[in-house]
Amino acid sequence: MRYRLEAIALLAVLAFIGLFILTTSMAPDAEFAGADNAASAQVAALTGRTVEDFTPLIPQWKPPSGEIESALFALQAACGGLVAGYVFGRWKGEANRGRPD
Amino acid sequence: MHIMEGFLPLEWCIVWWIIALPFLGWGFFRLRRVLDADREALPLLGVTGAFIFILSSLKLPSVTGSCSHPTGTGLSAICFGPAITSVVCLVVLLFQSLFLAHGGLSVLGANIVSMGVVGPVMGYLVYRALRDSRVNVYLTVFLACAVADLFTYLTTSLELALAYPAEVGGVAASFGVFFGIFAVTQVPLAIVEGIVLALVFKYIIQLKPEILFRLRIFPEQAIQAARDGA
Repeated sequence: MRYRLEAIALLAVLAFIGLFILTTSMAPDAEFAGADNAASAQVAALTGRTVEDFTPLIPQWKPPSGEIESALFALQAACGGLVAGYVFGRWKGEANRGRPD
Repeated sequence: MHIMEGFLPLEWCIVWWIIALPFLGWGFFRLRRVLDADREALPLLGVTGAFIFILSSLKLPSVTGSCSHPTGTGLSAICFGPAITSVVCLVVLLFQSLFLAHGGLSVLGANIVSMGVVGPVMGYLVYRALRDSRVNVYLTVFLACAVADLFTYLTTSLELALAYPAEVGGVAASFGVFFGIFAVTQVPLAIVEGIVLALVFKYIIQLKPEILFRLRIFPEQAIQAARDGA
């Protein structure tokens, strides 16, 4: 069972995708907005104010559009991916050193 | 798990900053100690930190029809402990506060406490409880990572509930409401995150088992059993 964990991970990801498809078909009007925003809306509901009433305590730059926001998130993931790939590659090289190709 | 900028009253922002700061200070101290003692710890720190960057950038859809982030902090908590993990979380959360308007500078303390302190501490406790037991290494990693993820969101719910107790039922009722928003969404994400990070740990074991012995992360025979097994 050399690839047991890989198989489990693949099944988990497939199940996750299946769950997503199931959710979209059972609740076609689901918006898939952030849970963070749902919590913010709940704060507004509990205090009897509107979400717009909550202004930043410290002024904050906001990405002008969803596209720019997703670009910056992709940048964050790419930085992580670069570091992880570099280290795994280096370890792989070290492990292979001295062995015949 | 991000509390949005402006959504926490000033006094609570200060409370969570006061809790976060000593932890961060301890983290910086530990980071220097670990890296001074063994430079080979740096690549491992890079990998565990990198997965916090990757996983916390993914907003994944869940069964509730809303999206949420995994945290990715469990692996780092296992390898380096919660204090160093809180420093990595500071970097990620600062980036998200400054450039993504996810969280903010005033609520950064609260977000560090949930993602960088309570989550990793709980994950670390699970790991410590199981490390020397007969439980499989991968199952230990899975459980520690899933628990770190779930407790992060439990903490966010508590932070919001303390600041906004419901008129009827107070903090407990309010906590139930916020937990309802986060928990159901988070359970499938926490499970997938745990499995993915267990898989990452498998590749670390395959490529660089020495570093895991040297930093005494798992007993040698447990690592050996894991190499021969899955």
